[in-house]
Amino acid sequence: MDADSPLRDSSSHMGSPETASGQPDSRHSASPEEGTGASRQGAGPRARELQGRVVAVRHYGTYTLVSVAAPQIAQRARPGQFVMVGVPGGAFPLRRPFSIHSATNSDIRLLIEPRGRGSALLAEVVVGERLDLAGPLGNGFPLTDVSTAVLVGGGIGVAPLQFVAEALRADGVPVLAALGFRDAGQARLLGALTLDDTWIATEDGSLGRHGTVVALLDAIKPPAPATLYTCGPRPMIDAVVAWAAAHRLAGFASLEAHMACGTGACQGCVVATRSGYRRVCVDGPVFAFADLVPSEARE
Amino acid sequence: MTAQTTTPTSEPDLTVQLGPLALAHPLLNASGTYDVLETAAHYEGDAVATFPFAAYVPKTVTLEPRIGNPPPRVTETPSGVINSVGLANPGLAHFLDELPLLARLPVPLIVSVGGAQPADYVTVVRRIEETVDAAPAGALPPVSAYELNVSCPNVTTGLAVGTDAVATAALVAALRQVTKRFLIVKLTPNVTDISAIARAAVTAGADAVSLVNTFKGLVLEAQTLRPFLGGKTGGVSGPAIKPLALRLVAEVAAAVNVPIIGMGGIASGHDVLEFIACGATAVAIGTANFAGLGTAARILGELRDEMRARGLTALAEVRGAALVGE
Repeated sequence: MDADSPLRDSSSHMGSPETASGQPDSRHSASPEEGTGASRQGAGPRARELQGRVVAVRHYGTYTLVSVAAPQIAQRARPGQFVMVGVPGGAFPLRRPFSIHSATNSDIRLLIEPRGRGSALLAEVVVGERLDLAGPLGNGFPLTDVSTAVLVGGGIGVAPLQFVAEALRADGVPVLAALGFRDAGQARLLGALTLDDTWIATEDGSLGRHGTVVALLDAIKPPAPATLYTCGPRPMIDAVVAWAAAHRLAGFASLEAHMACGTGACQGCVVATRSGYRRVCVDGPVFAFADLVPSEARE
Repeated sequence: MTAQTTTPTSEPDLTVQLGPLALAHPLLNASGTYDVLETAAHYEGDAVATFPFAAYVPKTVTLEPRIGNPPPRVTETPSGVINSVGLANPGLAHFLDELPLLARLPVPLIVSVGGAQPADYVTVVRRIEETVDAAPAGALPPVSAYELNVSCPNVTTGLAVGTDAVATAALVAALRQVTKRFLIVKLTPNVTDISAIARAAVTAGADAVSLVNTFKGLVLEAQTLRPFLGGKTGGVSGPAIKPLALRLVAEVAAAVNVPIIGMGGIASGHDVLEFIACGATAVAIGTANFAGLGTAARILGELRDEMRARGLTALAEVRGAALVGE
């Protein structure tokens, strides 16, 4: 739950003298440190809008891994955060949200799946092109107090897990990955990942184990108290959450939603949680398993 | 410093007078599309002090918190966006708690008010009046105006008001009893005769009208052919509706003699001029804000350039130009 997350931005606007008392603010209830004006750890609001130059493009099947020079975003980005990206040409009113696949000191990398015409245009960007970016946005994955991490990804949902793996490995945390794909063609996404201990499943059996990531979890038998980090299609996330509950393991899921502003204004990207509708853009995109309401339980 | 003097190109005057509100330029934000406190919370810089619009219209506030419609609530349409948010907002008490955070706002505050029934609008406005008028100077932002949202297409209650001239007039008359502040009525385009609603609002005491809210629409999920949005239908906005909005603004401008805040798909400085040519005094930017926080500054720059290129010194020179001969 991001209430426990050390990753949330504090909000300096609420730290101004006339507001230092901290008004109760249900919109920020997920992060008590936000709105109090008390946390002065140098965090502060961190996102910014800028144009980033595409510096590298690699294709993996139908997927594209784009590296964009954006030091001011890259140096602040944390695993699980995302950026809003404008579709080149200006014909599309909405920016598209993308998880940050990984970041260097100067670049962010985004893994793009062509789903509609907008993302198809983004998947065709070339080196030198400039992209309108806003970020880093969202809460990110909590990464503290982890003894063993199991990354569970489905399809394009593997995108944010690379960043998680890198951060945890740097902290010396053992990281396993259970990744599921439709077929070997979709599994070409693996080329965009550098993970150590990776288990693969495909729905058609064309690569790795025939089945889903849940079958992989059964095979891996993660040691308690492993922490699960997952992203993928919602039915997969629900299955992983149910599996984790049965095995008494905690975890965090990065959700996706159709998004308009990406900034908390429009209330467009909400998802049902145990604490009501929450915005994926600023209350998420990462939610604790315990906070999620399974899809079939929803209206 | 040459002997030859060239006439210095004078800066176009972008100011507009919206009733008692002296605005630095004609661009407002459309309610629910730009949240200055969220921007301040998540972005670098001081979003409150550098607020880019000429007045701030927060998300519509209702008496009680509203959880809004089930997701999904928003998606893109050809040259537009459809949403079914359903006036999700944390309610009046929370709005009043948060009001001090807007005290440093450098522009007038226009409070957008919604309600399930007329009595709710009255209660909301009365309590805001009491709170603002009792506050010590500087503690709260000066509330300059109210915008009555009688036109959200995504709620089952309240919608009836804005589609009925008699109900609109009754609501405005009731609110006229509780506030002397500038009263704007936001009109829905989802009616047969928008001028009749506008006239009813003005006759009952409205000081201005704003239009248009979103057009009711339907988007289907590609595979299942069922409604995509959790609320089934939604409201369409963005460039796709601009010609429809321009027609309605022009029609209302011919029907009433109060200032008009025009909106509907404005995405460029040229679009702003078009709405002003159709009779608008000011305009609101909505969907275009989703392209980025710099939208207002970009459109303002384009408007200035466009006025300069046309040799315009003030917006009044084109206001209503499209209405001539109608």
